[in-house]
Amino acid sequence: MTTFVQLLVNGLGKGAVYALLALGFVVIFKATEVVNFAHGSLVLVGGYLVYELKDALGWPTAAVVGVLAAALAGLLIERALLANATSADHNGLALLTIGIDVIITEEIVRRVGADIPFIGDPYDAQPIQLGAVTVFRTQAIALVVGAVLIAAFLLAFRYSSWGVAMRAQAENREAAALMGIRSSRVTATAWLVAGALAGVAVLFIATQDFSGAGLGRGTHAIALVAFPAAILGGLDSTAGAVVGGIVVGLTEALSAQYISFEFSKSAVFLVMLVVLVVRPSGLFGTKELSRV
Amino acid sequence: MIPGRRAAVLAAALASTLVLAACGSTADQQPAGEAGAGGVKTDKGVTDTTITLGVMGDNTGPFKNLGAGLNAGNQLWADDVNAAGGICGRQIQLEVVDHGYKADTAKTLYPQLEPKVLGMVQLLGSPVLAALKQNLIDDNLLAAPASWSSEVLNNPSIMMIGTTYDLEIVNGLAYLQQQGLLADGDKIGHIYIDGEYGGNGLKGSQYYAEQHGLTITEAKITSTDNDLTGIVTGMRGEGIKVLVLTTTPSQSASALAANQALGLNVPVLGNNPTFDPALLDSPAAGALGALYVAASSPPFSSETPKAVEVANEYKQKYPSAPVNAGVHTGYVEGMVWQAVLEKACEAGDLSRAGVATALTTLTSVKTDDLVTELDYSSPGAPPTRGVYIAKVDPAAEGGLTEVAPLFTASEAEGYKAPYQQ
Repeated sequence: MTTFVQLLVNGLGKGAVYALLALGFVVIFKATEVVNFAHGSLVLVGGYLVYELKDALGWPTAAVVGVLAAALAGLLIERALLANATSADHNGLALLTIGIDVIITEEIVRRVGADIPFIGDPYDAQPIQLGAVTVFRTQAIALVVGAVLIAAFLLAFRYSSWGVAMRAQAENREAAALMGIRSSRVTATAWLVAGALAGVAVLFIATQDFSGAGLGRGTHAIALVAFPAAILGGLDSTAGAVVGGIVVGLTEALSAQYISFEFSKSAVFLVMLVVLVVRPSGLFGTKELSRV
Repeated sequence: MIPGRRAAVLAAALASTLVLAACGSTADQQPAGEAGAGGVKTDKGVTDTTITLGVMGDNTGPFKNLGAGLNAGNQLWADDVNAAGGICGRQIQLEVVDHGYKADTAKTLYPQLEPKVLGMVQLLGSPVLAALKQNLIDDNLLAAPASWSSEVLNNPSIMMIGTTYDLEIVNGLAYLQQQGLLADGDKIGHIYIDGEYGGNGLKGSQYYAEQHGLTITEAKITSTDNDLTGIVTGMRGEGIKVLVLTTTPSQSASALAANQALGLNVPVLGNNPTFDPALLDSPAAGALGALYVAASSPPFSSETPKAVEVANEYKQKYPSAPVNAGVHTGYVEGMVWQAVLEKACEAGDLSRAGVATALTTLTSVKTDDLVTELDYSSPGAPPTRGVYIAKVDPAAEGGLTEVAPLFTASEAEGYKAPYQQ
C-alpha cells in the first residue's frame, strides 16, 4: 500500500510538469492549428540560460531570465520564421518547427558539452517526509506552480480579451478577422505563453528529483513525452492538456512498477492509441464536423 | 558539360582506387617478421629503438574524466619504463587517439592506428571493444581493454587486466555479508544497464544468490534511463537488504538519491564504473555515502605503497588534472604489458604473434598490489579474482576511501566464468 501511495505521489508530481509542457503544445495548436515540434528546444533555451547565469546572478534572477528567454525565443520563432512563411500550410509549418528544433537542440547540447548541469538548486534533492511517504520537493513545488499557472491561464483564457480573441480565432479564423481580431497578435502571444510555460517546466525537469539528469538531450526527450499527453487530452483542449499530463505521469509510474520498467516507456503511447481509437479527437478535443 | 563532369568523376574514382591498391600492395609485401636489434624478431610497431603501443581512449565523451586518468596512468608508466632504460633496449612510445566513446569513430580511427602499433595498452569502452572485436582477431593485435566483462574472454586478442564485473559483485556481496550487512536468505535488488556490462555484473549477483539463498529483484534499464526513483520505490516495497548497481555514474546517483529520499537506506554495492568523483558536485552528493565500490584497482587515495607512489607522481606531473581511479588502472595496464614485452623479448620475438604467445606463458604477473596476481595461462578464465572495496568519502582524494584491502572471497574462487574451460 505504501508503495502504491508513493507511486501515486511520484506520478502526480511528474504529471504536473507534463501538464505544463502539454499546455504549451495546446496553446499554439489552438491559436494556429500548427503542431509545434520545437517545444523541446524552447525548454532547452530556458534551461541553458539558467545554467549559464545562476552563478553570476543568483538562482532566482537566472530563473526569471530563463523563463523570459524561452518566451522570447518562442516569439522570435513565430515572428521571424513562421509569420513569414505565409504560403505554407499547417503541415508545412509543423515541418518547419522540426528543423528549428534540431538546430537549437544541437547547438545547446554542444554548448553544454559533457557537463549535464542540474538547475533546480533551491529545491532539488531535499525530500519531505510525510509518514511513510516521501514527497520530492521538486515535484511538490512543480505541482503547486503548475496548478497556479494552469488556473491563471484558464482564467485568462476565459475572461481576458486575449483569451476571447484566441477562442474566437480558434473557432473561426475568418470570422474573427472580420470582427477586427488581429490574428498576428493572437498567434504571437500564444507562442510567447507557450515559451514561458516551457521555461518554467525546465526548472523542474533538469533536476535529480525529476529526471535524475541535468540539462541535455534527456531533457529534450522528456519534453517530447508531453506530446502524447497533449494528444490524448485533445490537442485543442486546455483542460485536456492538464488531464493528459496527469494521465501520462501516473501511467509511467504505475506501469513501471506493476508491469515492467521496460514496458512503462511504451505504456504511455499505448494509452494514447487506445484513447485515439475510442475518441479520435482525444479525451476533451473538439470533434471535427464536416458537412457532406 | 554533363558527360565531361561524369568523365572527371570516373577518372577521380579510378585514380583513388589505384592509390588504394598501391597502398594495399605495399602493406602486403611487408615481411611477416624481421630480425631487428639484438636479433629480436619484429613486425608492426617495433623498431630497433622504439616499441609503439596504441591508446584508444575517451577525452571528449561521457567517460572523459576517467579517460584522462587512464591516459595519464598509461603515460606515467611509459615515462617510468623509459627512465629506467626501456624494454628490450627500446623506448616505449604511446600513440593516443580519442574516440569519444563512439564505436563508429573508433572504427574509423582503428585502420589509421593499427599499422603503427604493436598492440594497445588501453582500449576503452565495451561498445568500442565489441565493434573492433573482429579487427583485433584479424590483425592479431593484443589489446588491454578498459572494460571488464568476462564475456569477452573468448577473444584471444583481449588481455584482461584485473577482475571482471561478475567477480567484482561476488566479492562485494561477500564483503557486505562479512560485515553483517547481508544474511543468507535475504532479498537484494540489482539494477543493471542492458548490454555486456550490465549482464556480466548481474551474473555475479545471480551466482552469489545461488550460493547463499538470496532472492534477487532485477531491473534492466538502458543507457538513457536516468530516473531510477520508481524502480527503487518498488524495491523498497519488496524489502531488499542490499541494492546492487551495474550502471553509469549518473544512474548510480539517481538510485542513491532515491535510496536516501525514500528512507530505504540500504547499503549499495557498485561495479568499478558506477562512481565518478564528479558526482560529489551533483545534487545527489549527500546520498552517495551508502555506496561501496568493488574494483580490482585501488582507489586514488589508497595507502598501498605502489598506489601512493603513482598518485604522487601523477599529482606532480598533472597538478590541475582531476583525480580518479583511472590513474592506477592506466598504470597497471602498462605494468602488465611490460611483463608481456619482457617475456617476448626473452623469447627473441617482439612480433605480434610473439607477444600473443608470450602472454599465454605468464602464470604470475605481479603488480605491487595494484591488482591481484595475474595468471594468463588459462584462456577464457579471468586472469585474477581479487578486489579492493572502497566507500564514498568526500574528504578523500578521488572521492573514495579504501575500506577493505585487496582480497579474494572464497565464493569468487569457486565461480566459473562464461568461457572458462
